[in-house]
Amino acid sequence: MNDRLIDTFLAEAHELIVDLEKALLQLENDQQNKDAISAVFRAMHTIKGAAGMFGYAAVNEITHHLESIYQDIRDCKREMNEAILRITFKTLDHLRILLQVPPAESVGNNSEHAELLQAVQSLGVIDPAASVKTKQVVEAESATYYINVLPKSNILKNGTNPLYLVDDLLVLGNGISLPYFNDLPVIDNLVPDVSYMGFEVLLCTDKSEDDISGVFIFVEDLCDVTIKKLGKGNLLKSITAEDNPWYNRNELLPLGFEAVQSALTKKNFNKTSATETVRKATAQKTSNIRVNSDQLDDLMNLVSELVTTQARLALFSNQNSSAELDVISENIEKITRRLRDNAFTMSLVPLESIVVRFQRLVSDLSKELNKEIEFRAEGMDTKIDKSIIEKLTDPLLHLLRNSLDHGIENPAERKRKGKDPKGTVLLKSYYSGANVVVEISDDGAGINLERIREKAINKGLIDAGSQLSERELVDLIFVPGFSTATKVTDVSGRGVGMDVVKRNITDIRGEVTVTTSPERGTTFIIRLPLTLSILDGLLVRIGDTDFLLPLTAVAKCYEVETATLESTYNQWVTLEGKRTPFIFLRNEFAITQSKPHLSQIINVPFDGGHVGLAVDKIIGEYQAVLKPLGHYYQKNDEFSGATILGNGTVALVLDANKLIRKLTTDIKSEIV
Amino acid sequence: MSKTIVVIDDSESIRELVGLTLENAGHTVAKGVDGQDAMRLFDGREVNLVITDLNMPHMDGIGVIREVRKMQGYNTVPILVLTTESQTSKKEEAKAAGATGWIVKPFVADKLLAVVKKVIR
Repeated sequence: MNDRLIDTFLAEAHELIVDLEKALLQLENDQQNKDAISAVFRAMHTIKGAAGMFGYAAVNEITHHLESIYQDIRDCKREMNEAILRITFKTLDHLRILLQVPPAESVGNNSEHAELLQAVQSLGVIDPAASVKTKQVVEAESATYYINVLPKSNILKNGTNPLYLVDDLLVLGNGISLPYFNDLPVIDNLVPDVSYMGFEVLLCTDKSEDDISGVFIFVEDLCDVTIKKLGKGNLLKSITAEDNPWYNRNELLPLGFEAVQSALTKKNFNKTSATETVRKATAQKTSNIRVNSDQLDDLMNLVSELVTTQARLALFSNQNSSAELDVISENIEKITRRLRDNAFTMSLVPLESIVVRFQRLVSDLSKELNKEIEFRAEGMDTKIDKSIIEKLTDPLLHLLRNSLDHGIENPAERKRKGKDPKGTVLLKSYYSGANVVVEISDDGAGINLERIREKAINKGLIDAGSQLSERELVDLIFVPGFSTATKVTDVSGRGVGMDVVKRNITDIRGEVTVTTSPERGTTFIIRLPLTLSILDGLLVRIGDTDFLLPLTAVAKCYEVETATLESTYNQWVTLEGKRTPFIFLRNEFAITQSKPHLSQIINVPFDGGHVGLAVDKIIGEYQAVLKPLGHYYQKNDEFSGATILGNGTVALVLDANKLIRKLTTDIKSEIV
Repeated sequence: MSKTIVVIDDSESIRELVGLTLENAGHTVAKGVDGQDAMRLFDGREVNLVITDLNMPHMDGIGVIREVRKMQGYNTVPILVLTTESQTSKKEEAKAAGATGWIVKPFVADKLLAVVKKVIR
């Protein structure tokens, strides 16, 4: 406790005692002096309150009794008399003594205190506070409760936030809150400081019912609260806010105790209900139902259609205000999202399924090549779309063969270099944002960059004098018709491999990069989308037309005056002090509708640098269901597909890299 | 987050104690020595909570509640009253006037902050 505060309290108490004395002297002359009685009462009250706060328990105790007595006198419940007056005077002197020493030391005058206290009590006060003290001790045993809180519509006017009540309830244990509307008007008639909400809270707690109703202590008459015990123990074990039997309930009505109880007891009656048995079974066996993959594709297709239709419904419900429609639309949205997630996880397959083939390949090949190779696989429980896995197998096999053949040296050579004669190839997979990364690394010799350079010059792929960075040199291995193995072996083909690998991976919207370091090994890193049919994109608009850019291709967005863009003669613009080439998409797409004053430039990583794409407007993030383009558009590489927007229009999905390449090579050929 | 809290008590020590406790918890405190004096604090500033004593000269706590509930812009501010256990009837009266809740004296800092947290977040 702060010393300054204690000093303040003591000074105040002494002032009050002086006031008390004055009032008491008045009373001595006229026992019926109402003002004096009130003054005594208020002084006692204030001393009592403050003394309690500052630890002066003895002061608090004695003033408490006197306060009650004077309250009764003030309220004409009893008469003032000489005895009371004498004892009050005595108390006054006693208070002065009590306040002279720190509270802890006031033990010394205990006997005097006890005597006086007894005297005060003998004045015959019925102390209501004292009788309340015996509280029932309820055995702590956890139980599940149903609590329905329906705040009166005026609760907000009293300064109470009903949400805090729910929070306070949920702090008591584990539970979920199921809000519902109560007499919700249409939005035009909505009054902001009127409450239209009710809450049903299912709570498992070891606290007593008293503790639960204690939450509502401030609002007893502002809320209709029903607390009913659903049963002993935790009935909410497998229930979460996201996964409960009432997830798609009608939010215009409370569920009611009976409905909740029957749903919960049904679920809990046999500890392992039907759904739980299924869950357990699936946990033990990953796949116990075989589904024709065509059927699965069909399902995915239908889900995609549903997502599109749902988006339209959401848009329609936004445009037509109807509380009922909003509820339906939101419900459909929730269900659709869950269905979509469900369906997509269904088509995800762990990489494990192809690892067996790799193990086999490694053991066969290492024998054939007379190498000792250990194959390790990490993160093979990483799941990825089955159609991606199908297309990934060949490139992976090829990369693996390459590592075994070119990467890992033979045991004698490894010994000479001081390495473990046994080489290691590691296949590793993990999630990275919305991507799955698959890495194949070896601890072999690494890629000899000088040899790549020579080869490339020999094959006429680069000029003898050209300056290439390490990265550019390494990337040459992906150029068609390139092979570095001095001896062409049966194993890793004849240099037709790496370019095909790259193409296969790009086909499934993935990218492959390679890092290598001499004598330490080579790592191929393949970055893949989780699924092929859903794309997180940035929706942009040029004129009246919407386009979608994959979010993965977006580095940063800038706002630039359209006039600035038009006035450049070499298609460069300065962004954050950096000169950046840009493409004015409205010109490239021959969109002639009126130009906005401000244009948006989206910076897209390209060839190790950045290229800006200028559009009119950025609408925002959009999760799109990708649809392939009809065969008339098959040659238009710059569009990887299309998607149907909520309002029914079609947006083309831009393949930023191919688009830039196409447009820049066009420019180049024009110049040449 | 810091909130602005109006504390009204005629006892300087209680006022300072409550003020200090709230300030240490990061809140901004405006103090009034009684109900009448406190009225000047409702001058358009943002007030997130009012804590008032009940027994005060000039204007008591009930008066404060009634006045604040009438004021445009402050009519839904939570109001906590400082009471003692002996004042059950006062508590009822305060509630009827529009008090949000109460803090029973004596209280320790933690309890004060817990009750404050109960009504503002």
